[in-house]
Amino acid sequence: MAQPQAARKPEEGYDSGALTTARAGKPTDWLVGWKSLFWGCALVMGANVFLWFWDYKFAFTAGLNSASREFTLYYRTLFWGELIVLGVFTGIWYGWLIRTGRELKTQPFSRAEEVRRIAVLWSIIGVTSLSIYIEASFWPNWDGAWHQTLVRDTALTPTHIPMFYFFFPLSVVLALGAYIYGNARIPALYSSDKGFPWSFFLLIAAAVLECMEVAFNEWGHSLWISEEFFAVPFHWPFVVYGWLAGGMFAVWGETILRLYEIEKAEEEATTQRPGREHAVAD
Amino acid sequence: MAATPMSAAERQRRLELRALLNKEYKWIDRKWDLVFWVTAIFVVAGAADITKQLFAGDWDFWTDWKDPQWWPVVTAFATIIIPSALQYIQWVAWRFPTGATYTAVCFFMAAWVGRFFQWNIAESYPLNFVWPISTVCAAIILDWLLMKTRSFILTSLIGGPIWALLVWAFNYIPMAPFLQPVHFMNHVLTVSDVQGITYIRSQTPEYLRHIERGALRSFLGETQYVSLVFGGTMAVLGYWIGQFIGRYLAVWPIRRYIKTL
Repeated sequence: MAQPQAARKPEEGYDSGALTTARAGKPTDWLVGWKSLFWGCALVMGANVFLWFWDYKFAFTAGLNSASREFTLYYRTLFWGELIVLGVFTGIWYGWLIRTGRELKTQPFSRAEEVRRIAVLWSIIGVTSLSIYIEASFWPNWDGAWHQTLVRDTALTPTHIPMFYFFFPLSVVLALGAYIYGNARIPALYSSDKGFPWSFFLLIAAAVLECMEVAFNEWGHSLWISEEFFAVPFHWPFVVYGWLAGGMFAVWGETILRLYEIEKAEEEATTQRPGREHAVAD
Repeated sequence: MAATPMSAAERQRRLELRALLNKEYKWIDRKWDLVFWVTAIFVVAGAADITKQLFAGDWDFWTDWKDPQWWPVVTAFATIIIPSALQYIQWVAWRFPTGATYTAVCFFMAAWVGRFFQWNIAESYPLNFVWPISTVCAAIILDWLLMKTRSFILTSLIGGPIWALLVWAFNYIPMAPFLQPVHFMNHVLTVSDVQGITYIRSQTPEYLRHIERGALRSFLGETQYVSLVFGGTMAVLGYWIGQFIGRYLAVWPIRRYIKTL
């Protein structure tokens, strides 16, 4: 596999100690490579639990009439709050990914470090998977229950606000963030000189399409039918996003293949020079 | 007895396979398997549930929509798509005939979480009015068919109609009590009809109901069977949509790149 020059040709005599990233333990230990999975899932679930309880408490008391003062207080505020939180999170996370990614691109790294980075990528993908479940199953259930029983008078309904305007864009942020992470840190698969991977194209397209379908959905409900028939044809594009998320399996597949390549390179290197760990040079 | 050349080759192949099976890697351990199988639950559950909800959700949300005409057709089509995709992925990757069952279990859990927390707790609908269907039994049979035939074509042609039949049959058991006749306001209705009248759905008025519609009712006792046969045909179609997802959206893109200019 082609690698950036810095990664392909580490300095002569570069020992494993110099190439590791000063993280204790194996790269696949739960609290090393997989730490991001637990933190990420905890944050997403925390947000989900908060939003569920918010709706449970206020949906029927403040969410029925979008012209009311209570609605503005509890729901328009929530809507803007979500967008601000998501925007700030995205800015900080992407800023950190891009800034540190530029530095890392020029530095050599060991095979152990690449394995750890793949574990982190899997962690981000795992969090994306959780977000996709929440936006595709958890909240649509409440949205169905809400819309089939109560008259809608706004696109910012109590169930839309968490689902359409938080978890939908969150999935875009996570999927794109996973690619940005891989682009700088796993160059053997995702460096820019290889082109854009179809796997991430499909995964990101899925999340983006979902956000665009929100507009179509609201337009359809305002033009054709304000009532809720869940199998109505203008809902069908929502389904396509679930299918395009199949790209996630391609991300898993290509990183698994990469892991085997790393193992093979490590095995060959150990056979040649036992006791030393080398930078990836395949 | 002296070993034949074939058996020696076979023995050698088995030894190589056993060595591969017992090979110890430095970094590839069971954590990768665990993370994959657990985190994939969410995307699979989400994809299966959204596909079912937006193609056939209305027939699954309420007992009074589970009719003999539309329910067997739309449900069979909508619920086989993602199991088929996972069947392809797991068969190609590991020769596991488990993809449909894995999906059905994920879908079952997601559907029940949704019905319990959202429909029951949040909106106060009783669970015996809004319980979701299960596709687990049909999925086990679909996986068994793939294991025996080792052919996606045969699995689709045989498994599609069987899927439609089994999804209906296994869910007819919990449905049957709600089809019992009751005398309600001088009319003979079913228990599920009474549930539909009792629990108000102001945004799903009667004119939107797609149940028991059309001339198929003139088929009298045959209605159910005509629907099941057509449902089986639609399930074959749904199976190949799932195959498309598995082949071209999940497996084909592995290590393929959109070329830059």
